[in-house]
Amino acid sequence: METLGGIIDNYYYMVAVILFVIGMYTMLTHSNMIKKVIAMNIMDASVFLMFVSVGYAHGSQAPIIREGAEIFYANPLPGALILTGIVVAVSVTAYALSLIVKIYRYYDTCDYDEICEIRSQE
Amino acid sequence: MGVSEHFPALIVVIFFITAFISPLLYRWGRKFSAALVIVTIAAALGMTVSLLVTVQQAGTVFYHMGGWPPPWGIEFKADPLRLFMLLVVISVSLWIFIFALRDLQHELKKRVIGWYYTLYSILVGSMAGIVLTNDLFNLFVLMEICAISACAIISIKEDRECLEASFKYLILSAMGTGCFLLGVVMLYMATGYLNYSFLHLELAEAFNYYPRNIFTAAALFIVAFGTKAALFPLHVWLPDAHASAPSPSSAMLSGVVIKIYAFALFLMFYEVFPRTLLEAIPLNEIILWLAALGTLFGSIFAMLQSDLKKMLAFSSIGQIAYIFMGIGLNHESALVGGFYHIMVHAVTKAMLFMAAGVIIYSTGVRDIKKLAGIGRVLPITMIAFTIGSASMVGIPGTGGLISKWFLAISALEIGRPVFVIVILASSLLNAIYYMPIVINAFMQQEDFKKDIKPVPRVMLACLVIGMIFIVISGFYTTPVVTLLEQALALYF
Repeated sequence: METLGGIIDNYYYMVAVILFVIGMYTMLTHSNMIKKVIAMNIMDASVFLMFVSVGYAHGSQAPIIREGAEIFYANPLPGALILTGIVVAVSVTAYALSLIVKIYRYYDTCDYDEICEIRSQE
Repeated sequence: MGVSEHFPALIVVIFFITAFISPLLYRWGRKFSAALVIVTIAAALGMTVSLLVTVQQAGTVFYHMGGWPPPWGIEFKADPLRLFMLLVVISVSLWIFIFALRDLQHELKKRVIGWYYTLYSILVGSMAGIVLTNDLFNLFVLMEICAISACAIISIKEDRECLEASFKYLILSAMGTGCFLLGVVMLYMATGYLNYSFLHLELAEAFNYYPRNIFTAAALFIVAFGTKAALFPLHVWLPDAHASAPSPSSAMLSGVVIKIYAFALFLMFYEVFPRTLLEAIPLNEIILWLAALGTLFGSIFAMLQSDLKKMLAFSSIGQIAYIFMGIGLNHESALVGGFYHIMVHAVTKAMLFMAAGVIIYSTGVRDIKKLAGIGRVLPITMIAFTIGSASMVGIPGTGGLISKWFLAISALEIGRPVFVIVILASSLLNAIYYMPIVINAFMQQEDFKKDIKPVPRVMLACLVIGMIFIVISGFYTTPVVTLLEQALALYF
């Protein structure tokens, strides 16, 4: 019961891990390249969710200093780091999509299996 | 102290500055842009050497970015081992770049050559950063920069194989970085630090409270760095990516880039995770056995190839496994062997890819079977290939023997003779696929009937430099081995 209670209290960790697994599975098994890129973003987003939720504790508030008041602040560092992480994920996505455009021009398809078929016929 | 105080940061930063200036200079002329990149790499090399001298006299140097002390700020660390890696990375990059100057004109469209210089500087800069950084999140960012620029120097040659290979590489390396970042979250959760030194202290205690977090992080790191460094079952992206790329890119990727990640894994094991963790779960055993399988299977796959560059790419899978074996044996002289192999293999594999590049440049032949008799028309290239092959096999007089020697001796010392057999078997397998090429190239009588383009002198000079280095590293080992022993003593 204790484990279950822990899971329910920290449900965002569970959501992040489930999203991570969905993303990774789709990325490695799906043959459509666009879907691979979408899955890559799901995977990255899940890690970002996890990272940001590490900085939050129950009842904590936004880390804006107010004079005189005793406030329980959330940790601002993960948020700041994830901002960088999002930028990195966007640039990888942009690069991956531009590669897909070029591959599409050669094969007229975004599907990896079809590409393999075309190549094997040559 | 003056400017030399800022060397650790400058070594990384100048590459990024060059990356942005060189396309501007390219508008006036290719020569300016190329000269700028060469000057930058040479300057970084100078700074590394001067830093190495400082570090050997005064001990490890820490550099705080923007003056913010760690746990808050990003910290760069320059200890002898990192500087050794940096020296290998930067000098091999300089050497490959000089080769690339002539080879690229033949492999790339004219309008993209300037962009290649940009990507190349970013790649070298990010690798220097990966080596020097002492902060996990900084490592993540630099790894992504390195991954994108490494993919981009493949896809810049816009043919179908390159695009596909580069997409495959990108997806798998994105999976690697995803796993890595999740591992970083796990460690951050348990300790609240991202700095290696702070993590190391804090993890020893946190291990008692949150062992699962730390186990998960260790597993994720093995997957992440294993994918990026092509550790055996995670190597699937490597053959396509390294074989289809332009030859200088292949040399760079196979010679330097994969080793950076092996080094990063080494740092995770020896600088971040506490000793108790390595004793609690058999992480080293996992790496050791994967490496043993890698040395054998890499060579077996290489035997089956008919394309010269693909064979060299598969051989890299076998060779990177030696470095992982050095990490897995968890013994000082095994690590000396592993790091010596990083240096020797960086030079050897880069030179073999250069030789393959020269063959393709001059004759257009990629098929191994059609190489018979080529030694008569391209003597210097094939002599270089022969010496490179000898070093891969580990014939006495070449650097390849020394690293295998250290690995085998330390495997015996800690009572694991199985790995001596693995090393011997994989050396024999290496001989099986390298030697026929060499023998056919020189011994076959048939004339080589293809049109031969004259090879530029710069390219041949690069091959000669490589040959000389491999032979020297086989005889005159003391300075490097002493440096490595001193450097590794800090980790034990």
